Amino acid sequence: MRGAANSLKYLLLAAALAYPLMPFRDVYVLHVLVLIMVYMVLAMGLNILPGFCGLLDLGFVGFYGIGAYTAGLLTVHYNMSFWLIVPLAVINGALFGVLLGAPTLRLVGDYFAIVTFGFSELVVLFLTNEIWLTRGPLGIPGIAPIALDVTWLATLLGIDERWRYVFRGEMPYYYLAMVMVALVYVVMRRVEDSRLGRAWLAIREDPMAAASCGVNLFAYKVIAFAVSTGIGAMAGAFLARWSQFLSPDMFKFWESFLVLCMVVLGGLGNINGALIGSVILIALGEVLRVVLPKLGLPAETRFLAYGLIMVLIMRFRPNGIFTQVAESTMQSRLIKDLRARLDARRTA
Amino acid sequence: MLEQQLVNGFTLGLIYALIAVGYTMVYGVIELINFAHGEIYMLGAFLTLSFISMGLPLPLAVVLAMLAAAAIGVLLDIVAYRPLREAPRLAALITAIGMSIFLQNLAMIIWGSRPLPFPRQALPAFFSEPALTFSDVTISWMQMLIYAVAVVLMVGLNLVITKTRVGTAMRALAQNQTAAALMGINVNRVITFTFALGSAMGAMAGIMVSMYYNTMYPTMGYLAGVKAFAAAVLGGIGSVPGAMLGGVVLGIAETLGAGYLSSPYRDGVAYAVMILVIIFRPSGLLGRAVTEKA
Repeated sequence: MRGAANSLKYLLLAAALAYPLMPFRDVYVLHVLVLIMVYMVLAMGLNILPGFCGLLDLGFVGFYGIGAYTAGLLTVHYNMSFWLIVPLAVINGALFGVLLGAPTLRLVGDYFAIVTFGFSELVVLFLTNEIWLTRGPLGIPGIAPIALDVTWLATLLGIDERWRYVFRGEMPYYYLAMVMVALVYVVMRRVEDSRLGRAWLAIREDPMAAASCGVNLFAYKVIAFAVSTGIGAMAGAFLARWSQFLSPDMFKFWESFLVLCMVVLGGLGNINGALIGSVILIALGEVLRVVLPKLGLPAETRFLAYGLIMVLIMRFRPNGIFTQVAESTMQSRLIKDLRARLDARRTA
Repeated sequence: MLEQQLVNGFTLGLIYALIAVGYTMVYGVIELINFAHGEIYMLGAFLTLSFISMGLPLPLAVVLAMLAAAAIGVLLDIVAYRPLREAPRLAALITAIGMSIFLQNLAMIIWGSRPLPFPRQALPAFFSEPALTFSDVTISWMQMLIYAVAVVLMVGLNLVITKTRVGTAMRALAQNQTAAALMGINVNRVITFTFALGSAMGAMAGIMVSMYYNTMYPTMGYLAGVKAFAAAVLGGIGSVPGAMLGGVVLGIAETLGAGYLSSPYRDGVAYAVMILVIIFRPSGLLGRAVTEKA
């Protein structure tokens, strides 16, 4: 059984790697797949807060927006390389995360939810109204695509050529997105099993007990917020250079809600679940976008389904629909046992 | 100019206050931010519209809409929140968000996504005319009606909370749910009553806003809900007089902010107030101190 699941996993991975090279590849499908991967990164980033720490972040998209606009503006004004922009955007996102998180993380969780929500709305207002910086609702068009410039290597080898590869079409972005997803995934898996991840888990299960055991609640929560917002900003930086256009509309509350729904669907705190949640909801969204207008309904009403999914999951499957997948992400026997005992206590 | 801004801000503030009491009462008894409350406010407006288009007279339509909204609020609690009372708080909060989005999109399916006007023919013609004029300040009859309704509802609500048995039970629940249950209070019945009362008041706010601005749209509850929540936080969450005060202060602050500081950031005033209050004075103007709870 386990062997079969593993083979299926590798088969899927091989198919995903090979798809863009196949003669039957489709630009639209590729585009949707890249979109799914962007949301995978977002879902994994958001998952840290409600999933690992039990803190509801309703303003995640604000940091996604900060990352995207940081990248977009640095590209348009300074023509900076993408590889330099990514760390800058991540740092900028995490900086805002710490600035917002430090004063609010001491408060009750509900207040945290509301403050993050208010913050992301302020970000959208800022992006819409500070026209001198962001061009407001007109958005920023013509952001240069990602380029990989290894001319220095050529110079080093004594070859007088310009080794520069510009990302055109969906395919290079597809592979870059895969690298990004893999990177975040590995980091998340390692973090979950680390001292940091255990501290977050302890905070989620019982803050008072965690504090009594010497876990610095505040410090670990701020770290969680910084990591989460940093990942959100990274996805934003990718988005800016991939879509080559940014506008404030892309960062409205709906996006936060969608990402939260992915995390909830996959199971809070479940890294694999976040990936599957992204696939399902983006695919569902694309289908509904086509089906709903045919029924004479505005395409936005697809959020009805998302809202319903969230309510039903919380009511009937609070651990998400893929609990078996959740088991397999954890490596540490200690944590596995602990979780099993906690779950047993909760159901009793 | 300033006086007129104050009058308009006060009117808006009373509306926020009516919505905010719903948030604050529910938070008081079950410590849940009922995100779907803004949608109840929106449904109040649309239900009135539907009742009027069925041919009912305005007062009856309004009363029916309030009753229907109260029923929806109660249903919301029973179907969505009650099963999660013992679950982690995060689950209930996520459910509240989900219900909010669900109701909003349901309204979009039923009534369409475009703004609809309030049926003006149902209103007496003199409503839009000025009732009082002092030099350059005018107060319309519509504004007078909002003042009257808001004052009557709030005084009534305060009487219910302070003078009746069920009001006493609500306050007991807010203090300590277990102790209240031990004293023989039927906890679920009181919570149901709280949802009904808060939803009816929220619906009334929605009805009056749609008359005042002569428009209603399915997403109207989103912004109004957030601002009313900000008002509840400003007043001190859990405190009913605080929510009223917070609403009025926020309404005036927003109007003045839009008039004198920067009108594009009109909606930002509420967010900024909310964030600053939460960071620097989480107990609000009239609330009890809030600390981290396990």
